[in-house]
Amino acid sequence: MAATTQNARAGAHPVRRGRPTALAVGSAARGSTVLLLGDAVAAILFAAGIAGGVAALARGMPAWPWALLMVVAGSARAAALWGSLRLGSRAAATAKSALRRTAARAALRRPSGSGSVGALLGAVVDEVEAIDGYIARFLPARQAAALAPMIVLAAIALASPVAALILLGTLIPFIGAMVLAGGAAADQSRRQFDALARLSGLFADRVRGLPVILAFQGEARETERLGQAAREVAARTMRVLRVAFLSSASLEFFAALSVALVAVYAGFALLGQLPFHAPEQLDLVRAFFVLALAPEFYAPMRRLAAAYHDRQMAETASARLAALDAAGTPPVGEGLAVVAAPAIVFDHVTIRYPGEDRDAVGDVLIEVRPGEIIALVGPSGSGKSSVLHLLLGLVPAQEGRVTVNGAPLKEIGSVAPFAAWAGQAPVLLAGSIADNIRLGRADAAPAEVAAVAAAVGLEGALTRRVGGLEERLDHRGGGLSGGERRRVALARALLKDAPLLLLDEPTAHLDAAAEAALIAVIARACVGRTVIIATHSTALAAIADRVVDLGAAA
Amino acid sequence: MSDALARVLAARPRSEKQQVRRAALYAALVAVASVALLALSGWFLTAAALAAGAGTALAFNYMLPSAAIRLFAIVRTGARYGERLASHDAALSAIARVRPALFAALAATPVARALSLSTGAASTRLVQDAGAVETALVLRSGTVGGAAAILSGLALVALAGPLAVLGVMGVAALLMAVSWALSRQLEDSGRAVLREAEWLKAQTAALVEGSAELRCYALEDWAVARIVDGGTALAAAQQRDSDVRAAIEVASPVAIGVGAALALVLAAPHGAAIAALAALAAAMALDGLAPAIRHVTQAHAARAAYARLGALLDEAPPATLPAVSLEPDLVLYGRAIAPPARIALRGVSGSGKTSLVERLVGLRPAIAGEVSLGGVDIALLPASTLRAAFAWLPQDAALLAGTVRDILVLGRADAPEAAVWEALEDAAFADRVRAMPHGLDSWIGDNGASLSGGERRRLALARAYLKPAPWLLLDEPTEGLDTATAQTVIARLDDRLRRHGQGLLIVSHAPLALVLDGEITPASPPAAADHHSVLFVA
Repeated sequence: MAATTQNARAGAHPVRRGRPTALAVGSAARGSTVLLLGDAVAAILFAAGIAGGVAALARGMPAWPWALLMVVAGSARAAALWGSLRLGSRAAATAKSALRRTAARAALRRPSGSGSVGALLGAVVDEVEAIDGYIARFLPARQAAALAPMIVLAAIALASPVAALILLGTLIPFIGAMVLAGGAAADQSRRQFDALARLSGLFADRVRGLPVILAFQGEARETERLGQAAREVAARTMRVLRVAFLSSASLEFFAALSVALVAVYAGFALLGQLPFHAPEQLDLVRAFFVLALAPEFYAPMRRLAAAYHDRQMAETASARLAALDAAGTPPVGEGLAVVAAPAIVFDHVTIRYPGEDRDAVGDVLIEVRPGEIIALVGPSGSGKSSVLHLLLGLVPAQEGRVTVNGAPLKEIGSVAPFAAWAGQAPVLLAGSIADNIRLGRADAAPAEVAAVAAAVGLEGALTRRVGGLEERLDHRGGGLSGGERRRVALARALLKDAPLLLLDEPTAHLDAAAEAALIAVIARACVGRTVIIATHSTALAAIADRVVDLGAAA
Repeated sequence: MSDALARVLAARPRSEKQQVRRAALYAALVAVASVALLALSGWFLTAAALAAGAGTALAFNYMLPSAAIRLFAIVRTGARYGERLASHDAALSAIARVRPALFAALAATPVARALSLSTGAASTRLVQDAGAVETALVLRSGTVGGAAAILSGLALVALAGPLAVLGVMGVAALLMAVSWALSRQLEDSGRAVLREAEWLKAQTAALVEGSAELRCYALEDWAVARIVDGGTALAAAQQRDSDVRAAIEVASPVAIGVGAALALVLAAPHGAAIAALAALAAAMALDGLAPAIRHVTQAHAARAAYARLGALLDEAPPATLPAVSLEPDLVLYGRAIAPPARIALRGVSGSGKTSLVERLVGLRPAIAGEVSLGGVDIALLPASTLRAAFAWLPQDAALLAGTVRDILVLGRADAPEAAVWEALEDAAFADRVRAMPHGLDSWIGDNGASLSGGERRRLALARAYLKPAPWLLLDEPTEGLDTATAQTVIARLDDRLRRHGQGLLIVSHAPLALVLDGEITPASPPAAADHHSVLFVA
């Protein structure tokens, strides 16, 4: 039943795996491609201008009309290139925005405990950016590379079929070299990306843990560890580049060889010194036109090869993004309407985190009646927080089932829409204390915010601050003590005014007097709500209607 | 460029210096060969046609030019491959030095400043800023290549007389000037791109860390929208940046068209063959300026990155004060204590106990007259001396990502296996580690992600135990522990203190079943002085 619902949902929002999601915007890059083809046409005009000019001089005629053609053709190339670059970058911006939305959603919905913040940060920012070159440069270059050389070749064939044949001849070994190099490069590129992601994650973690590193005087060792990771990135990058450069060198070689062969052929043909009988009679204007245009035959493919790395970056990144997408996305609530205190039943529930070899919670059996206050107690590690995370849909139940007002949790996904939660590590965003409390309910009036702040005993903290509730916190929580953080979380929970209240250690970090005061606030807040509190405090557990000992249950 | 950054970049090993020189040499070879290849081909064709027309075809020496054409083709290919490898190798090796140097500098900056750098900002420095500098370093050889292209091109154009040389020179100078002027705009647009990227990262980090709470308050869509908005702002900045870059790229084909046409017309008096040579040489010389233009462009674009990396590196004091060895006697608010004394730090919630603890380990600026160690006010002591005196359990029990062993060796790098297990045993965490699939080598995620709050605290406690310091400094060691475990932890702490003779400073809200030698209540620091906090969020 649950599986069917999930499949139906997956069908509605298909996740494109393996290939860049942004392929869908390929059409937006088409304009860019057309302009690149225009560039090839302008290149033909430029070659015609220079050939005409030289031939005119050889006949003793003025070269300036042809010089004018060169200037016009050069400017046309510039205009085509300019348009192509601008269209490409705009198409990339559109694609990245769509991809970022998917990645951000997946990062926020991943099961708790999976994936480091550094890695997720890399996914949402760096890996999405890796798509940029693919859309802006690779896609237009690939489409242009299929057509532009043919346009150039046709123009050359009109002037000299033999020169066209020479160019075609150098193309065949070139394609072979490209195919061989491409396969090897993809694998190296993935490993390089992994190494960079690891370095970035390690750096983020060590910056976050800087106070501990400093206090334990581990700076030198951690610097060395980062140095190692940085050198590994450099070594892996060089390995990727060696392969990439080899393929572009083979491209260069054939491009240079084709120019040299055409030049030598045309020279000998003009001198009448060819060792074979040519089926055409070459004159200076045709010969020069062919020579000037020959480099343009390989130019689109060189552009493609230059953008090849963009494609590999994009493919690697999009595979990683798809994995993130697959790991995250627990079912989303279907909007069970709960307005009054709900009943919740845990029926022989077992929770186990991915990759762990023991149950976080084993065989829990609790029947919570509407309006009841339950205290979850038990030794640390007995899974009190896990039970709350289960209700929020952050971890799945391995066995057993949970129902809310009779509806299976698996189908409603999460109690989040009708629950308020105060966790152990409250989110504090850069902004004022009031802004942070207002996360509980965005449309709360300033008076309401002030009321809940007072109710949870934040006055002490506020009077010490110049700006009171409007004082801005920095991203690390700006000097709020452990107890004050819990109070902010509780204030948020009270502000939401939900029929289900989930509290995880709300009185930690408080001394006995402060705890007693806060317990009174919590007791008042519990009226008319179903409440589940995870706590070690016997004083707090005393306000519960029932105490469930998870240590005894396990 | 900042002195410190210049020093790190200049501290290159010999192999890297060789690669830089090699890259420049190859770049010059590429430029000369490209110019010569096309110019010679043009002259060869035209001269051949003229010779055939004049009936002197048999006397025309075609072997030398045709061999030279093939030689230039091969030289150009090989040299370009060599240039790319050498310039990337040199740049990557330089950046691999810069990255750890950034962290070392961050660790050496005044703590308040170091800890105010967010994870997002730090990550931007390491990835985007270092990446921008790396690109600029890769393109360094472009200047040599551009110079070689224009010099060899002008040398060939000189065959068509000084007027043609002047014309091509003028076009080249104009191209460089226009590119330079446009590049300057990249300084601003590049700075905006980095600023937006940093903001996006900071936003994303804060939101991803709080995903549980966002779920509960139905703020996930709001959070996604915030991230997407950050992305849109970044995209707008990138758009301005790439539009300037497009304008710079476009200058080249215009210059090539004008330059080649000018050379052709001005060289006309010297005959068709020389005019062909001059036109193609001019075109290739201007085309050969592209690497130099890319370098100018990137150097401007990376200026903000250079400045920010430099600022970070410059902040670190050049040499840290040497740690001094002192007696571990403390005077705390006028009260003298020495190991093995056991002192509780008391005070109501929010009264500044944790702030005092953080001042003791040098994570906050010391307040003169508050504490002295070995008879010296700690405000006068280097942080390294203070830190050596205390084994700290932080209030938030922060852990680094890594294995159990990685986490513990921070306490003592050369700890023997027996000492590690003793510490774990004393923290009542040994059984839990034994039950893990890989024991000490089990992976503990970011900040102890796979552990419960109480488990993290006990692991952090074992880390403090492992550090051989005269004082144990424990901030809430039993927070998050159930009564039975808390009792075990305190009983073993009692036992351990007896065995090791360490002193104890302990902060605890819970009553302690531990024999103490006294209590000290920290004087509340003035709010204004403590206003900018460096407190660390898990």
